[in-house]
Amino acid sequence: MSLFLLQLYGELWKLFARKRTYLGFGVFLGVEALILVLWQLPRGQQWMKRMIEQSGGTFETYFSGLTVAMIMVTTTIFLLGALYLGLVGGDLVAKEVEDGTMRMTLCRPISRWRVLLVKYVTLVLYTFALVFFIGLSALAAATLVRGSGGLFLMIPEEKLVSFFEFPDGLRRYLVALPCLALSLLSISSFSFMLSCWNMKPAAATIASITIFFVDWILHLLPYFESYRPWMMTTHMHTWLNVFRDPWPWAQMIEDYACLVGLDATFLVVGLIVFSSRDFKS
Amino acid sequence: MSEGPASDGAMIELRGLRKAFGGKPALHDLSLEVQRGEIFGLLGHNGAGKSTTLGILLGQVNPQAGEAFIGGVSVQRDRARALARTGAIFEAPRFYDYLSGWRNLEIYTSYSARVPREQIAEAVEIVGLTKRIRDKVGTYSQGMRQRLGLAQALLPENELVLLDEPTNGLDPEGIHEMRALIQRLNRERGITVLFCSHLLVEVEQLCNHVVILNQGRKVFDGRWADIAADRRRVRFEVDAWEKAAALLTAVPEVVVIEPGLVTLGDDVAIAALVALLVEGGVRVSAVEPQRRNLEEIYLSITNHGASVE
Repeated sequence: MSLFLLQLYGELWKLFARKRTYLGFGVFLGVEALILVLWQLPRGQQWMKRMIEQSGGTFETYFSGLTVAMIMVTTTIFLLGALYLGLVGGDLVAKEVEDGTMRMTLCRPISRWRVLLVKYVTLVLYTFALVFFIGLSALAAATLVRGSGGLFLMIPEEKLVSFFEFPDGLRRYLVALPCLALSLLSISSFSFMLSCWNMKPAAATIASITIFFVDWILHLLPYFESYRPWMMTTHMHTWLNVFRDPWPWAQMIEDYACLVGLDATFLVVGLIVFSSRDFKS
Repeated sequence: MSEGPASDGAMIELRGLRKAFGGKPALHDLSLEVQRGEIFGLLGHNGAGKSTTLGILLGQVNPQAGEAFIGGVSVQRDRARALARTGAIFEAPRFYDYLSGWRNLEIYTSYSARVPREQIAEAVEIVGLTKRIRDKVGTYSQGMRQRLGLAQALLPENELVLLDEPTNGLDPEGIHEMRALIQRLNRERGITVLFCSHLLVEVEQLCNHVVILNQGRKVFDGRWADIAADRRRVRFEVDAWEKAAALLTAVPEVVVIEPGLVTLGDDVAIAALVALLVEGGVRVSAVEPQRRNLEEIYLSITNHGASVE
């Protein structure tokens, strides 16, 4: 086990010593700043006031740091999160194969399964780190500007409109972050699987992002409503269920079972493909 | 059951390896043995099958038939145990350029074992990189990268090092240093070396034993001395070559190649030819068995494609 941790430590060094790893973090900070500015504009505030009051709340109570942080997360995470997780996941194996460092690693008395397992655990940690960074930095920045207050949430496509007092809203927000990370892990896992195939890192990234967006668009189209249970993004949206009362436990367990099953399938397919490959200059 | 049939002392044993890529054969039934403590050369043109052989030995390429053993352990059945004391570098060792040399060594060796810092420092000192080991690899010259590659191949306390064209891209000084380093490691630490190259002169200067590959087939397996010293070609220095040629060609199995140079059949004694010339009135000032140019031997073997084992 200690050797596994040593290998994981090395893998994390490799990942976090690269500048492009921080691209996602940097871009999110920029986008968060932009959203904060937009919600400070009169037109933005008028729109929000109308939404809150039409839903039965008071603008002064619910147009808070928590509400703005939630808007930041829900409007950016699936777009930018998919992009950066696809980028890192697609790079993780394919880039090393392309650079020749994978061949050097495979000179060592270590199984290919172990190499991939170390990399996958690294990817899981990166996914959670990115989501927590986004969630907590959004909350910190929004609270700094708007102050604390209740949480107002409105996501029409999920038929979700909710008001929460500050303590309850904050608790749900903090619980939502690991749930969101677990949802997004499916994008990471999918791009990781493609990265194990004999393809360029960019191809793995683009293919994974494309398939994710196609799935998402189909999920949003009413015409495909009856097919939604077969779509990955349908299950990924289950993280929002922590904002319902009461929590639909059965639905959430089913969704996460589907996602974890998908993640395991992506990992195993990646392992099988990677194990059968020949590595030669 | 991963123990192989390796004979006593054999560090590497390949048995009937076959491999094709996309239907194109890369190795045909290759078998060879490398004894412990020797510097063994694998010589061949680009595409002859050297890298495929190395890939199979490292478990990076899956053979369609046959098996590779290191220290008697099958690479295909128990790769981790077979490679436990094996290191390798390729023509251009690849590193994480944005990390230091030291960090690279730590990362690569972590895939073998927990290696003490002192052991890494010792390997770095052996290859002469102590002063630059904390610098990013991206700032290293090609020669420094090769030396770092060799350092990682030595860790942790490896007994066998596989080198695939390790002098590629090096300047003459770098080539000399690398060669001296390999010889020193073999001499002082008893490390067995499998040295792959397409450069005849390198293999000649480094290796005790050589296998020549051509289009995936072994066309020679033996010691350099066995092919380099060709006693069947003899140069005569005489006062009258035309007269000497007439006398010599009258002897069966003697063929004149050029003025002064003849080839002899196995049953022809050089002393008998000298006596013949002297008795025929030719004054012989020198007789010199010829050592064929190595490039000629190599080309002759690879072009004919026939086994000279």
